Amino acid sequence: MNAHNVLLPIIIPLTGAGVAMLLRGLPRAQRWWTLGTLIASLAACVALLSHVISTGKSLNFQLGGWVAPFGISLVADALSVIMIVMVQFVMVTGCIYALGANDVAKRYSVFMPIFLTLTVGLTGVMLTGDTFNLFVFMELLVISAAALTAMSDDRSGTEAAFKYFYISQLATIFLLAANGLIYMSYGTLNMADLAQRIRADAQAGAGMPPMFTMAMVCFFATFMIKSAAFPFHFWQPDFHAAAPTAVSAMLSSVVVKSGVYGFIRMTTHLFAPFAPQLQQVLIVIGAIGVIYGGFSAYGTHHAKRMFAYSTLAQIGFMLVSIGWGGPLGIAAAIVFMVNHALVKSAMLMLSGYLASKAPVKSASFEVIKGLGKSLPYAGVLFFLGSMALAGLPPLNGFISKMLVFRLGIEQAQWGILATIGVASMLTLVYTMRTFQWVWFVPPEAKTKAKSGGDALLAPTILVLTCLALGIFGDPLVNIAMQAGAWVYR
Amino acid sequence: MDFIISLAIASLFAIGIYQLLRRNVIRSALGLVIISNAINLFLLAIGAYDGTVQSYAKAIGVRSDALPLALILTAIVISMGGFAFTLAMLYIVMRRYKTADIDAITELKN
Repeated sequence: MNAHNVLLPIIIPLTGAGVAMLLRGLPRAQRWWTLGTLIASLAACVALLSHVISTGKSLNFQLGGWVAPFGISLVADALSVIMIVMVQFVMVTGCIYALGANDVAKRYSVFMPIFLTLTVGLTGVMLTGDTFNLFVFMELLVISAAALTAMSDDRSGTEAAFKYFYISQLATIFLLAANGLIYMSYGTLNMADLAQRIRADAQAGAGMPPMFTMAMVCFFATFMIKSAAFPFHFWQPDFHAAAPTAVSAMLSSVVVKSGVYGFIRMTTHLFAPFAPQLQQVLIVIGAIGVIYGGFSAYGTHHAKRMFAYSTLAQIGFMLVSIGWGGPLGIAAAIVFMVNHALVKSAMLMLSGYLASKAPVKSASFEVIKGLGKSLPYAGVLFFLGSMALAGLPPLNGFISKMLVFRLGIEQAQWGILATIGVASMLTLVYTMRTFQWVWFVPPEAKTKAKSGGDALLAPTILVLTCLALGIFGDPLVNIAMQAGAWVYR
Repeated sequence: MDFIISLAIASLFAIGIYQLLRRNVIRSALGLVIISNAINLFLLAIGAYDGTVQSYAKAIGVRSDALPLALILTAIVISMGGFAFTLAMLYIVMRRYKTADIDAITELKN
């Protein structure tokens, strides 16, 4: 396969966004064009995945033909191709949900183009091999996500977008400072080159450049804000609850993964000689996140907020398994990321569906309690999704949690293992409580499901994928194992 | 020269953080811009910035490092876009709440 193909997952949605902007007078054409673009780009990602996994070699593309440490490179290795397939698959289902939803946001002519640029940003973050380009794509991602949230028909959408954008601007400042500091220390911004120089420096044992530790800390802070890990999580539930459903499903499932991806790259590649120190921190913030996220999700009275807090807990699991490290740790984190992206977007879409059926458009429990009597199909999907989120067989959540626990047993980390084990029980408690409230409590007189409402095709696709990945988990686990071995070689 | 530049970076950071923490949202947004300018100045300072000949010419002499300049250009454009977007959002938020006091903008909290 030609190395130019690495460009496709970025260039297809980017040109697609331009064309969609031109189609703004024809809303129907614009929507179908967006869906088509996303599917074409997903096909390119899958082709990349199959090529990279079958040959076992990464594809590198030098933009403009400038040679590696000087030019900008795009690198598709096993980790990044798995990530981009995950991102683009979830984005396709998000677009399908938006097509069938009756949100106000959909009626803005810029909604679909911005949805495409969000895809570009996410894909770019995962494909880039250059820390400054990471910054550029992060910015694209942040502006798109904030703009999409500001379009929400929730009154406080703009406020949430403003809050998020402020926090992200701080992350941007950290990332830019990190770029400056790392350039000051090593005179290069290419990740592979940096990793080599840092390893050589660490092995020589003559001490690192003075600003190196600062750079590492700035990168770490950036990714902590991006992944909404424990002390930096405060913006996330507001932001995810106020966004339009199609968008909040994307935010909570794939946008936070850009930070987790950054942590994997930091500990295995960029700052590999200093991984033990970083991993220690990751384990601690991950474990705190699991507990805190679980209890906070239990304490909320709004379905979307509940799932946003649950994301905090699930991100905690990923951070803990990255912290435990090793090829198996990275493989467990990858499997967890993919499974969580699928199930969390499905659950948020189902909450949005309930909100669209409720008399007042809100996913707060007092509105949706008892709503489910006339919606049995959504109930089945919600039940399967809750099982996947809580990690019960035969859904995919079981496989991801099993890998994490197996890793913990292998490393004999009993304290952390017991903590996250107990905290993960909470998931079952709050999802099943919601299920019971919505589908088994007798409805009050005024609560009656409206006709119309959002379409259920997208959550159906996602839940079926969860089921398929739970029963036939082998391919995903194998690919993840390969990627886990890959990042350490 | 180095001393003046580092003093400028430090004071820009200090002013920016002070403004960022104010209650008025407009001042706070301005603080964000001042901090990103401090970062841009810092990016300038990390490269060799006091060259005397053009970096593409064959002339002999001290050259500046061109890469940080390219980084600054990109960062300026991005932060300009971000600032415009922030102000647009602030306009909507302030019109709704009829105040610029961050402590009064509390609808999301409950």
